[in-house]
Amino acid sequence: MRVVIAEDLFLLREGLSSLLRQHGFEVSEAVDNGPDLLEALTKHQPDVAIVDVRLPPTHTDEGLRAALAARRRTPGLPILILSAHVEQLYARELLADQAGGVGYLLKDRVFTDEQFTDALYTVARGGTVMDPEVVAKLLAKRPSQMTRLTEREREVLALMAEGRSNSAIAQRLFITDKAVSKHCTSIFAKLDLPPDEDDNRRVLAVLAYLNS
Amino acid sequence: MKIVIALWRLVVGRVIKLLRPARRRLGWAALLPLVAALYLTIWGAHAGTIVFVVIALAAALAIPVIAADLLPLALIYLGLHWLVYALVHGSSRTSFLPDAVVFRPVAWVLGSTQVVIKSPAAAQSSVSIIHPVPVPVPVGTLPPAFYYAKGLSAAYTTTAGQSGQWTVLAGFEVAAGVVLLLFGGWLVPRTIGMHTRIMRRNRELSRRVSTLTATRVEAIDTASAELRRVERDLHDGAQARLLAVGMSLRAMERLIRSDPEAAISLVTEARENSARALADLRGLVRGINPPVLVERGLGDAIEALALDTPIPATLDIDLDGRAPAPVESAVYFAVAEVLANAVKHADAHTVHIRAIHTPAEEGQGILRVEVTDDGSGGADPANGTGLTGVERRLGTFDGILAVSSPPGGPTIVVIEVPCALSSPKISSC
Repeated sequence: MRVVIAEDLFLLREGLSSLLRQHGFEVSEAVDNGPDLLEALTKHQPDVAIVDVRLPPTHTDEGLRAALAARRRTPGLPILILSAHVEQLYARELLADQAGGVGYLLKDRVFTDEQFTDALYTVARGGTVMDPEVVAKLLAKRPSQMTRLTEREREVLALMAEGRSNSAIAQRLFITDKAVSKHCTSIFAKLDLPPDEDDNRRVLAVLAYLNS
Repeated sequence: MKIVIALWRLVVGRVIKLLRPARRRLGWAALLPLVAALYLTIWGAHAGTIVFVVIALAAALAIPVIAADLLPLALIYLGLHWLVYALVHGSSRTSFLPDAVVFRPVAWVLGSTQVVIKSPAAAQSSVSIIHPVPVPVPVGTLPPAFYYAKGLSAAYTTTAGQSGQWTVLAGFEVAAGVVLLLFGGWLVPRTIGMHTRIMRRNRELSRRVSTLTATRVEAIDTASAELRRVERDLHDGAQARLLAVGMSLRAMERLIRSDPEAAISLVTEARENSARALADLRGLVRGINPPVLVERGLGDAIEALALDTPIPATLDIDLDGRAPAPVESAVYFAVAEVLANAVKHADAHTVHIRAIHTPAEEGQGILRVEVTDDGSGGADPANGTGLTGVERRLGTFDGILAVSSPPGGPTIVVIEVPCALSSPKISSC
């Protein structure tokens, strides 16, 4: 799997590269600023890109804006955003195109490499991965549409938003895979999501959740 | 000789320097009393007038405000003086009209060699011997209409041998008196207006100075309290956790061969501690300078705040550009505090935030944020230390915080800070 990395801190960039190589990824290019990132994305068309929100030259949200621009050019281009902080605002912008293949994680998540590489695979497959911290903030709100969901369904949806598969959710909640898919069907129904390809419905469910 | 020239230059320089403040305020009009004083001194006016004018001039030079007030009074006084004198005594050549001003030109025009002055009081008060003028002028070419009524008369003999009588009247005095009176009267409301404006400005300035002194002290206090908090948080949080990480690593170093199981648990502990240190630092950074604020500016930062607020929030944000960073920060934390209050104390269900910048024709314009909630109301900025702190911080930028919160709600909090917005948002994509 080919990866492009955009990270301005040398230590983290090198660390990420070696971590990914250890896990069998191929690092096509590792850049340290926004314009180079756009160029690298167009040149390599990677399976997934790992992008830091804050990049030179502006040191503002250069990375995020470059990622959004690249996704406008190539819809669904899988991008995992890494940041020292997570914001619901940015999560919403990343999810706004509803094309899937996005992730938004705290840099700390790199510590647990299996979780991190799982997230990378999910994003590369077109899935959606949200940091538990974003999800937790969202859970703090009890918006109207969500009140229709049961406590268990909300838990399932939260884990879905974190980008977990049905079996991972089952494992986490100590229930069977079958029970999870039952919950999912119920969630999709309650959120008025039409029968469709499962991955896309999952994305829409997460979106509904984030935008509510 | 050189010393005399140097002294003269010094004196002239001093005088010009002294005159400068008065000139700046009143233009050359400030020099009128000086001219009047010189004139009166040379031609022997009443001592009272001279003293008056000199005192007025001195005061005017010392305190420009007084100059503004005295100038029209001096003009009115002089005008009255001339009018009264001219009307009562007919004319007062000796006082006001030197030979050179009136009689020489008269003689020149008439081509006379001798002008004899007669006043009503004395049959023949003075005699001026005029040098012969080469051009013979016919009698009566002076326009008589300008000079009228009573006054002095001059007998003359022209070079051609003609002689006659020409009456010099009080016209000059009357005209000058009327002009001075009118000018003085015209100046009075203006100079009094100027005086009032200066006084008002003085009062405003002293009020401003006390406000600035107070807010400066508060700003320094707030800043140092903030620094202490950051230091304490670093010390108790990240620093302590990194210390723990180091200790775990050291213990691990010893155990890694003898007891690999224990070493592994230490590794886990170290990793968890470093993760917590990161979380601590993240919280600290958010408290000092929220990332969205740095990356996107106030509008998006308020939107992010609204998203993080546990109650539904509607937004109406119209900010075309970025305010100066310290202002953005102060307003951001003000909004954060107000939102927290709405949730915590007012038990609100929804909240509306409106942010708008109104540019001004002159000056900076106003940044205004309104936060309206449907909570229980009864908020008093005097009771909550949170809002007091916010108010103080805004005060540093001449900003204000106004709260309308009747019991039962709704609560409306208005934050206003004068500031200019820099160029509109950069959008590279």
